[in-house]
Amino acid sequence: MSKLLIVIPAYNEQENIVRVVGELADHYPQFDYVVVNDGSSDGTAEICRRQGYHLIDLPVNLGLAGAFQTGLKYAYRRGYEYALQFDGDGQHLPEYIQPMLDKIQEGYDIVIASRFLTEKKPWSMRMLGSNLIQLALKLTTGVTVHDPTSGMRMFNRGMIREFAQRLNYGPEPDTLSYLIKNGARVAEVQVRMEERLAGASYLTPINSAKYMVRMLLSILLIQNFRKRG
Amino acid sequence: MSTMLRICLIAASVLTTVMMMNKIRRSRVQIEDAIFWVLFSLVLIVFSVFPGLAYWMSDLVGTQAPSNFIFMLVIFLLLVKVFSLTVRLSQTEARLRELVQKIALEEMEDGHEK
Repeated sequence: MSKLLIVIPAYNEQENIVRVVGELADHYPQFDYVVVNDGSSDGTAEICRRQGYHLIDLPVNLGLAGAFQTGLKYAYRRGYEYALQFDGDGQHLPEYIQPMLDKIQEGYDIVIASRFLTEKKPWSMRMLGSNLIQLALKLTTGVTVHDPTSGMRMFNRGMIREFAQRLNYGPEPDTLSYLIKNGARVAEVQVRMEERLAGASYLTPINSAKYMVRMLLSILLIQNFRKRG
Repeated sequence: MSTMLRICLIAASVLTTVMMMNKIRRSRVQIEDAIFWVLFSLVLIVFSVFPGLAYWMSDLVGTQAPSNFIFMLVIFLLLVKVFSLTVRLSQTEARLRELVQKIALEEMEDGHEK
């Protein structure tokens, strides 16, 4: 068993899942992984079973937070030291897993795969959102997170336990703000990311706007009232 | 819009916010659900601090008095909330049914194999 568990939440990813998991299984056998099928209505679960992938098959759709938490519950039960959140759509590149693992072993709680640590952030609507969240994080925690919306994050054992057991621990920037305020140590590693391979992104303009309102309200207002433990 | 109504609106919104924050503190409510109430309180506060806004919008939609406009707005927002809660309750019940049935069926199938 490796120290690291790669958690791959997948919702309707039948087009991409074979390429994503296939590459991990073939070229990175030193890492354990688990696919969490989030009640997909397409053939995601069936493909995983046919290919013999490690699969947790949720019977109903829980959303990203619920699916990811399932993976971390598994990591916690099995005693993994580290867990990685990894997208099932091909955006994240496995070549950066080892550098992240090296970084977290320096004694960090969370390591974020960041597109903009040393690279400049391009100008677009989506990056405007990223900047706003970055500003909100800076205001509430004093810490600069260059790529707060990156979905590729690694957590240590202590974080795994919290994410596995508690309410309001979605894998999103507002949880990050709350954890940093409570003393979590966060580092970033510069990476490159791909566009998703196939299929439509969930992030339509309306959903993005909703996401932004939710994140900003949560970071600036609500997280301040949370008590830890 | 009377001073009394403004005070009531402010008090109601502050109370709503305090109650919601307390629930969040004790991990009793999800942040997604708290956001509606935070926004709702903000709307009430805005109307009580800037009553001119209520007058203007009341003229615009043609209600008899600004206070009526506020009542209408509150009723509308609550109706939307009740509706969305009904939808969510239905979905939750459907998922619960599916889960219970799945567990029971799998237990029976496991029993047969032994």
